[in-house]
Amino acid sequence: MNELMEGVRLVAAPDVIIAIVASAIYGLVVGSLPGLSATMATALLVPVTFWLSPIAAIATIITASAMAIFSGDIPGCLLRIPGTPASAAYTDEAYAMTRKGQPEVALGAGLWFSAIGGIVGTLSLVLMAPLLAEMALSFSTFEYFWLAFLGLMCATLVARSSPIKAIASMLLGLLIACIGMENPAGTPRFTFGLTDLLGGIEPIPALVGVFAVSEVMRAMATPEPPKMPHRKFGSILAGQWKLTKKYQWPMWRGNIIGVIIGVLPGAGADMAAWVSYAMSKKFSKEPEKFGTGHPEGLVEAGASNNASLASGWVPSLLFGIPGDTITAIAIGVLYMKGLNPGPTLFTENARSMYALYLIFIIANIIMIPLGIVMIRIASKVLRAPRASIMPVILLLCAVGAFATGNNLFSVLLVGVFGILGFVMERNGYPVAALVLGIVMGTMVEQNFITSLIKSDGDVMPFFERPVSAVLAAMTIGALLWPLGVWIWNRTGGRRLPA
Amino acid sequence: MQLSDRVTGGVLVVLGGLAAWSGSRLPAVPGQDVGPAAFPMLIGSGLVICGALIALGIGRSFEVPEEDVPATGSRFGGLRVLIPPALLLFYMLASEPLGFLLTAGIMVFVVAWALGASMRLAVPLALVAPVLVHLAFYKLLRVPLPDGVLPAPW
Repeated sequence: MNELMEGVRLVAAPDVIIAIVASAIYGLVVGSLPGLSATMATALLVPVTFWLSPIAAIATIITASAMAIFSGDIPGCLLRIPGTPASAAYTDEAYAMTRKGQPEVALGAGLWFSAIGGIVGTLSLVLMAPLLAEMALSFSTFEYFWLAFLGLMCATLVARSSPIKAIASMLLGLLIACIGMENPAGTPRFTFGLTDLLGGIEPIPALVGVFAVSEVMRAMATPEPPKMPHRKFGSILAGQWKLTKKYQWPMWRGNIIGVIIGVLPGAGADMAAWVSYAMSKKFSKEPEKFGTGHPEGLVEAGASNNASLASGWVPSLLFGIPGDTITAIAIGVLYMKGLNPGPTLFTENARSMYALYLIFIIANIIMIPLGIVMIRIASKVLRAPRASIMPVILLLCAVGAFATGNNLFSVLLVGVFGILGFVMERNGYPVAALVLGIVMGTMVEQNFITSLIKSDGDVMPFFERPVSAVLAAMTIGALLWPLGVWIWNRTGGRRLPA
Repeated sequence: MQLSDRVTGGVLVVLGGLAAWSGSRLPAVPGQDVGPAAFPMLIGSGLVICGALIALGIGRSFEVPEEDVPATGSRFGGLRVLIPPALLLFYMLASEPLGFLLTAGIMVFVVAWALGASMRLAVPLALVAPVLVHLAFYKLLRVPLPDGVLPAPW
């Protein structure tokens, strides 16, 4: 109880409150701009977190990402352009509702169920994390290796892309992580004689390049999105209670699926939304209405992506293994602020953990009033021409990269990763898998090599301990899943004409 | 930059092969079987396999074909996409001698102009945005942005 009060005191500090409000506004605005994703919003925040107190730094990341995931629904609903990839699953549905003249119902559902999903996700984090922390204390390098590998495999299961290309992206990320001398032997690898590469590739320049610079590049190649017509909205929350009661089951299903997908290392909000939308359609009593402006899928997937956001912090806090690209950034910030992820975080730093939970709850509660304001002014924000936003984004990329180490080489890296991200995206290689490969490379190698040394080069011990056997089975399942789907489609396809 | 799967797959095969080969030449740790070479070799071989599968077109059935974006035939044509990385290179080279304000102003102006902004938008933006960014990062966050030929008055 004492620790909880300490947590409250930490959150009530003026700098934390200012950080929450400012990053909420920032997240809402950036998330609502088409193409600027929640990950990008978070990545550009990192240089700012250097100069904040630990709790304020975490607060900006939590708040900005939660807001950005919600406000990605706004352009999706009004313009049929998802603001963040996590909204892409139900953009067509939301837009269909707008065309039916119910934009306020669609946006309200996005807001209301996002907030509920966020709070349920937070509760799951509060309940699960300490329980798992106890288990995690007994984990050895074998378990850590499988967990990290499982995270990487989950990241390749992202919908809408060839699994082989996704695995290739992930391997490319792992290869990039090999650069430098951060390996178990301390041997410089792939540095090409450049001293700037000795320290390895920092994840932040890579993230900023892949998610932000490539977006500015894409803006160069694509026509300006359509201007949003001025629109008057009715009451935004009016119909939501009725929807909550009517779609109680889909809402809970969405929350639970979101929590489960979030807890899986490597799978995040994007995947939660796709899976939940598909589930909703499958189990609905009226699946024929999907795609014509039916709120059921919105309820389920909208709750799901925000629920996964909070529970995605479980593997991040416990094992330092990111649940998705946003928590990958958050882990970096945690290390920087001396809150090193690991099971002991919950015993030795319980008040910081309580503060973190509180920030999640606060962020999801203030999301409702701020979100309503954002929806009302969305037509003004979305009218800002791209030519006025993209230059500032590029400038922030340069300054942000420089600020991470006061090093001009990072600015070049950001540019290189921008090109890489752009080319990969254009050719169907998912960039999230690349980023997770870069972030987790060192950890995967460290645990893999240490385990091999411990076992004298034998692979059997990787499967002998009970938890590591389960994790290994899950990982191999994730690896073979696409193959199974492929064979299923093949045989199914052959049976049909007969 | 839409390339065929043969090209990207081939690039991955070459890259993976190179990684595995140069990984295998890394010095071993005396008295130990597994050293710094193991991981790059493993990943390199993985990349070779994936690259080959991609080049052969396996797994395509999972992909959702991307909507073809019509190329906009305006300023600079297809090379426009290279403007942002080129500007970052420019920032790296020029920010020390020219100073932050001037370099940033040029960057902002070029991007705005390339995206089709009118002079009425691009010029004020190039004047105001660097100043605001400088204030936030230099004053508030204490990032040592270079002064160059045009030091900021604060």
